[in-house]
Amino acid sequence: MAEADAPAESVTVLVADDNEVAQRLCRRVLEKAGHKVLTASDGLEAVSLALANPLDMILMDVAMPGMDGLEAMRQIKAQKPGMAIVISSAHSMASDRERFLAAGADDVLSKPFRLTDLTAVVDRLTANKSAQ
Amino acid sequence: MSPGLKHRFATKPFSTEGLVRRVTPYAAWLFVGLFAVAAIFVGVARSSGAAEVAAIVLLAAIGVVTVVVYEVMRHAVRASEVAKHDAEALRHHDELLSLAIGGATVGLGLIDSETRWVEANQTLAAMLGRKVPELLDTTLIAITEPGRLAALEQQLDALRAGRTARWVGESRQVKPGGDSFPVALTIAAVTLDGTRPLFVVQESDISVAKRADAIRDAMVAVRHAIATSATWDQAASHVLGAIGTHLERDAVQFWSVDAEGDVLRLRHAWNCPDTALAEFERSCRELFLPPGQGVFGRARQSGVVAAIKSISPIGEPSLTLPARKAGLNEVVVCPVVSAGEVTGVIALLSRRPSDMQDDVMTMLTTVGSEVGQFIQRADTTAALQRSEADHRAIFEQAPIGIARVSATGELLEGNAALLRMLEHDLDVLRDQAWPDLLRSYDVAAGRSRVAPLLAGYSDGGSVQVRAATGGGRWLWLQMTATSIPDVSGRPEHVLVMVEDVTKVRVAQDKLAEALEAQQSANADLEKLDRTKTEFLSIVSHEFRTALTGIQGFSELIRDGGLESDEVRAYGGYIFNDADRVNRLIGDMLDLDRMESGRMSIRMADVDINEVLSDTIARSAPSNTVDFKPDLDPRLPIVTGDRDRLVQVVSNLVNNAIKYSPEGGVVTISSRAEGGYALITIADTGLGIPPDEIAHVFERFRRVRSGAAQSIAGTGLGLTIVKQIVEMHGGKIWVESAVGHGSAFHFTIPLAADAVTPAMQLRHG
Repeated sequence: MAEADAPAESVTVLVADDNEVAQRLCRRVLEKAGHKVLTASDGLEAVSLALANPLDMILMDVAMPGMDGLEAMRQIKAQKPGMAIVISSAHSMASDRERFLAAGADDVLSKPFRLTDLTAVVDRLTANKSAQ
Repeated sequence: MSPGLKHRFATKPFSTEGLVRRVTPYAAWLFVGLFAVAAIFVGVARSSGAAEVAAIVLLAAIGVVTVVVYEVMRHAVRASEVAKHDAEALRHHDELLSLAIGGATVGLGLIDSETRWVEANQTLAAMLGRKVPELLDTTLIAITEPGRLAALEQQLDALRAGRTARWVGESRQVKPGGDSFPVALTIAAVTLDGTRPLFVVQESDISVAKRADAIRDAMVAVRHAIATSATWDQAASHVLGAIGTHLERDAVQFWSVDAEGDVLRLRHAWNCPDTALAEFERSCRELFLPPGQGVFGRARQSGVVAAIKSISPIGEPSLTLPARKAGLNEVVVCPVVSAGEVTGVIALLSRRPSDMQDDVMTMLTTVGSEVGQFIQRADTTAALQRSEADHRAIFEQAPIGIARVSATGELLEGNAALLRMLEHDLDVLRDQAWPDLLRSYDVAAGRSRVAPLLAGYSDGGSVQVRAATGGGRWLWLQMTATSIPDVSGRPEHVLVMVEDVTKVRVAQDKLAEALEAQQSANADLEKLDRTKTEFLSIVSHEFRTALTGIQGFSELIRDGGLESDEVRAYGGYIFNDADRVNRLIGDMLDLDRMESGRMSIRMADVDINEVLSDTIARSAPSNTVDFKPDLDPRLPIVTGDRDRLVQVVSNLVNNAIKYSPEGGVVTISSRAEGGYALITIADTGLGIPPDEIAHVFERFRRVRSGAAQSIAGTGLGLTIVKQIVEMHGGKIWVESAVGHGSAFHFTIPLAADAVTPAMQLRHG
């Protein structure tokens, strides 16, 4: 069960996605895993939440109205260089993955994703973080 | 006539004083006689006897005779004394006369009516090459050149007949050796005491003067021939003829150095009219005289006049025989020097010996030099003329147009090709077309950074200008201008080459067009390719976005452990996303059918107001916006596919609702406009940013907003709407202001029979 697999340490994750369904899915899965979840619906909101709250990592969509996820990531990284950001996008061609990593993403999670992939990437990045 | 001769043959003067003196004694004697006669007559009368009378008469007669004899004898003695005295005087005169005549510097002589020399002075004899006694053995006729005899005889006849007193003229005398020379001759008749007439002859040798005259005349004639001829070929016969005539030669020839063989060939010849000389000329034309041989070779090598008295086979092996056949002996060869080089010779040939004095040689040297200079000049002139003619021919015959332009731009000259090309005559071209062409040139030159023509100079640059011909055709002309400087280097005029490059230009333009079309096609293909890739990327993004919810929530449900309301909610998400995927696929297929022309629309009469009202009725209950219909009840029916029109209207209405805030107003209006139904669906929503307006009808160009996200569109709606409207023959466009809302307008043609004339008039 998801609850049983929950790690001892709880982390705070910002989910930035303009798609409401995707937001709900991530929230449901990560909360179930024992994490704390904040949500943003566009890049601008993501930046302000990221700068205002202590976060362990950000799950960032790319195609969002107004400021897109890559620009939001750039601005957040400029302020908080160590912030772990995973780009989660339906742009999932091989070239897209390269593009996102080159833009500074710590990891890329292509949509649609397996739920275990989502929890695994969160665990990996937050584990790295706690190790540091 | 000399004064001495005149004195000698004059009659004695008659003296009146002498007569008186001589008559006086006769008168005395006559008186004595008369007294005696008277005494006798007295005695006779007294005696009266016959004897006495006879005695007395006898005595008287004896007395008279005695007196007469005495007087006669006395007279005879006296006459003898006078004659003796006269002879003395005459002898003295004669001596003086002889001295005078003998010492005279002119030739003087006396001939009788048969022209036998009666007397001659030393000067005359020497002049005629004889001693005085030898001369006195001959006649004037005999020593006169045969050619002059007729003239002499004629004059002598006139003198003999007393028709003229004397003759002054010229003739030619022959020396014993055969040489003849010219003389000035005066013959005057004298009469000596009624005896047969004599003629005084005065002669002087005028050969020097005659030669000087001949030389002068020859030079004048030669120079005249040269001055009036353009080429040596024209001048040659005149020059040779002048030399031959004035210097009295039988043949004069010009031989020139053969360009190849270095030999002399006969080029021109003049002869005295004589068949033998003509034959000689023909023979000479066959000959060639090698260098360094004979008198010709000498003249050629030395560059000075050379002469021989008698032509011989030793010097002239080939020329001698023909010369001798023609009777020619003497040859004088005069080199013709041109540009410091002997390029030919003039040969003077004559049968009898001629004067070969220095002045003749000098004259021939001068002629050779002047002829040489003339040949050189004529050659140069001919070369210049040929060059000029060549250039003129290039100018005239050139297939491209050539114009000569003054430094101020005025057209000085235009060749035939230019006039032909521009279809003008020179006057019209110069006054009208050329100034226009120049302006075009300068404008084009300004663009091409070529020096302008009107500045008076040019740098050889080319420009292309468009110009109309006199025939109204438009040409592309390539103009290339080159300055031609004067001697001081200032631009004197400009040469402009004008080429008709219309065909080239048209071909270039076509090529450029084709190239552009090709590039455009390539760009279209690239764009299409890009569009396809982009489309694929967008579509896959849309699908994956939808699938994220479907896959994620179905995985949650599958893994179990959910509350039943959770399962219901997740099932709803899954359904919505699955539905969206379905719509997406439908829209894509629709669009593809429309764009490829495979979608058919079923045209029928449609009441567009009914379509609008129906859509409002279906949409209104479930929404938070206010609908404000503004439908024109008189709007005629349109022609269209009702289902498709419903699709258009509901799409636009849904969009309006989607982008309207809660409580917003959606206005739906319809009216007739110029044969079309104009439908407007306006909202009071967010509006579309100006940079987005141009793209709203493109695929997947949704204006994203947080509020809009709850209604998941496919991003293809407006694209499909536009396609449908255009398939109906209508138009669609949008007006929008950010923060105030958007208004979408579209038109659909009214049904044909619904359009009233008034409408057409109003909107037509």
